[in-house]
Amino acid sequence: MMGQNAFGVFLVVIYALLEGVAQVFLKKSVLGSGHWYLWISLGVVILLIEKMIYSEALLFLDVGAAYTIGSLNLIAVTFMSRCLLREKVTTKRWIGVCLIFIGVGLVAART
Amino acid sequence: MFFKAYSVIRNNCMRTRKKFPIRLAAGLILAILMDTAVQLVWKSAVVSLPNNGSPWLNVQALLHSPLALSVLFLMACQFFNWLTVLSNADLSYAQPVTSLSYVSVFCLSVLYFKEATDLIQIVGILFVFAGVWFISQTDHVTPSKEREA
Repeated sequence: MMGQNAFGVFLVVIYALLEGVAQVFLKKSVLGSGHWYLWISLGVVILLIEKMIYSEALLFLDVGAAYTIGSLNLIAVTFMSRCLLREKVTTKRWIGVCLIFIGVGLVAART
Repeated sequence: MFFKAYSVIRNNCMRTRKKFPIRLAAGLILAILMDTAVQLVWKSAVVSLPNNGSPWLNVQALLHSPLALSVLFLMACQFFNWLTVLSNADLSYAQPVTSLSYVSVFCLSVLYFKEATDLIQIVGILFVFAGVWFISQTDHVTPSKEREA
């Protein structure tokens, strides 16, 4: 049986992945490629679901842990931007994202 | 701190080929400020809820909490601001830059809630700043030709 902490971690990982998907949909809505209302609606629905999941996760995890794991969304968003939106993600941008991820981990580790 | 962040981002981007729109800089700063407020108020709202063990009951309790309603209002403002930001920048550029809200939440916790801090956390803050600096060195938008390639 999954422990409370493990369940909290699982919820935050799902939150991070859904954040990536929702942000891609929102970006698609402003790209002017048509069907903007469809993209925006899907984005909002997923955002609402992920917020509920994150709220649930906060009941099982400290905010520091939730913050750290939740910052995986940066990596998810960058990866999905590259693959689904064909954005130019340079090595410099990847280095920046990784530094921020490590930094957030260090800040949140003691909270 | 935010004006400093603004000038660093703007100056770095002005050195690159593409002009950095003031609207984008303002949108990013607003996004950081609102994200900070949402994080602080949201946690207070969730902690103040009774643990019913049911997500539906938790949602109902949230809808009757003034703190949670404030979070919803802030989130709505954040959402429209975010769409403006996204229409002016790459998602993979804008999203990491708003991570500066991690720094502002940390600073506010130390300054106003007198939370303890240590060297590791300060190193973490420097990592976040370094990361945002690296990202600010890249073009804020991918040309449509490269996107289609």
